[in-house]
Order: sequence, then C-alpha cells, then structure tokens
Amino acid sequence: MAAKWIEMVTGSLEQKKQWRQYKARVKALPEPYRGAANAVERYFMVSGSITVDGETLVTMFSDLADLWERAAADGTPVREIVGDDPAEFAETFAQAYSGKRWIDKERERLNKSIDEAEKGEPK
Amino acid sequence: MGNQMTAMLKGTLEGVVLAVLAVRPAYGYEITARLRDQGFTDLVEGTVYALLVRIEQRGFVDVVKVPSEKGPPRKVYSLNAQGREQLEEFWRTWSFLAERIEQLHTDNTDNDEMEK
Repeated sequence: MAAKWIEMVTGSLEQKKQWRQYKARVKALPEPYRGAANAVERYFMVSGSITVDGETLVTMFSDLADLWERAAADGTPVREIVGDDPAEFAETFAQAYSGKRWIDKERERLNKSIDEAEKGEPK
Repeated sequence: MGNQMTAMLKGTLEGVVLAVLAVRPAYGYEITARLRDQGFTDLVEGTVYALLVRIEQRGFVDVVKVPSEKGPPRKVYSLNAQGREQLEEFWRTWSFLAERIEQLHTDNTDNDEMEK
C-alpha cells in the first residue's frame, strides 16, 4: 500500500530515493522505536492529515526518522516522544510543514465565496 | 495535564520555546528538559520537536548539525533576527492578554466582595 501511495504523490526519482532512505532508516531502528515509527507512518497515510506535495513529504519523513533515531540513541521512552495523545502529536507534527493541504484550498474557496456573497448584500 | 492547560499551552508554546532559545542555542532534548525543569512537567519531546520543525520552516531559527557520540548528529537551534522579532511580538501579545485577563479577574473579585 505504501509503495503505491508514494508513487501517487511523488513524481521525481530523487524523492523516491529519499523515501527509500527513510524506509531503510526505520527498518534499522531497534524496537520499540521501529514499531512506533511504523504506527505513526501508517496514521499519516490513512488520516489525510499531511500535505500532498512530494518534496515537503520526504522532508517531513526524514525529520521524523531523525526524531526516532535520536530517541533510540538517547533511550528516550516512546511515550515521552508522542505523549498521552499520539494522534494529536501526529497531527501537530504534520501541520508544521508548510505544504498546501486540500483543506487549505477549500478554506480559500470558502473565503472567496463569502466575499462574493457579501457583495450582493443590500447597503 | 487538564484540557484547559493543554489548550492554553498550545497557543503559547511557540513563544515559550523562542524565549528559551533567546537565552542560548539548544537542541531539542535540551529544550524539553529545560522546560520540564521549569514546571512544564507533562511536555513531551515530540511536541517540542514538531514545534522546532515549524519555527525552522518559518525561518525563525538557524540550524547547525553537530556530530554526536552516538546516534545521528544533533540539530542545534539558535534564534535569528526574524526569530527575535517574532519573540518581541509574542511578548507584546502576551502582556496585552495577561493585563486584560487580570483586569477581568480583579473586576470579578471586587464584585464578589461587594456582594458579601
């Protein structure tokens, strides 16, 4: 599933290479970090909480790999990384990346529509 | 941590982290540890990291990768000119809010005392 999904969002070979690097880094993590990394990755795939711009996406996953590798090296407990609400963590994390999400386009569209509607209001 | 605390912290954490970095550059774990020592006991590393990523994307910090004895290089964050401006803005907003809310608090307390 992941492979097909990434094909959809990344066009360039460079991005595919970076994606494979991320997968290899996760694979090299000791448990429980590998399991946690896979769970967070899966959540991103299914939740639609991330940007669809391929370049931002590979940057984001590379930063995530940094976080997990650092935690593994320091022996930081998984819970101290993701907190009491891992979904909340994942969403906050994804929001940090500036790529456009479909919801941003819809927000702009709503704002424009209200502007238009306002023009028709009696003065 | 209560819901109210979580929500309020969410709105102020960026300013808090910028304030920590204004003292001296630091890496993610250091920032989390420093804030936990100062009473933000429920703060987790992932939250701080997500925030650091965001302020990096917005250009408020400069990042230097420093080799580490074990594990990947550590990213050391330092506040740049744009970050300092943002922090100034945060203090102005914070002072305004704190003053207004404290005023409401005082008005409420005065009312309560008059009723007694």
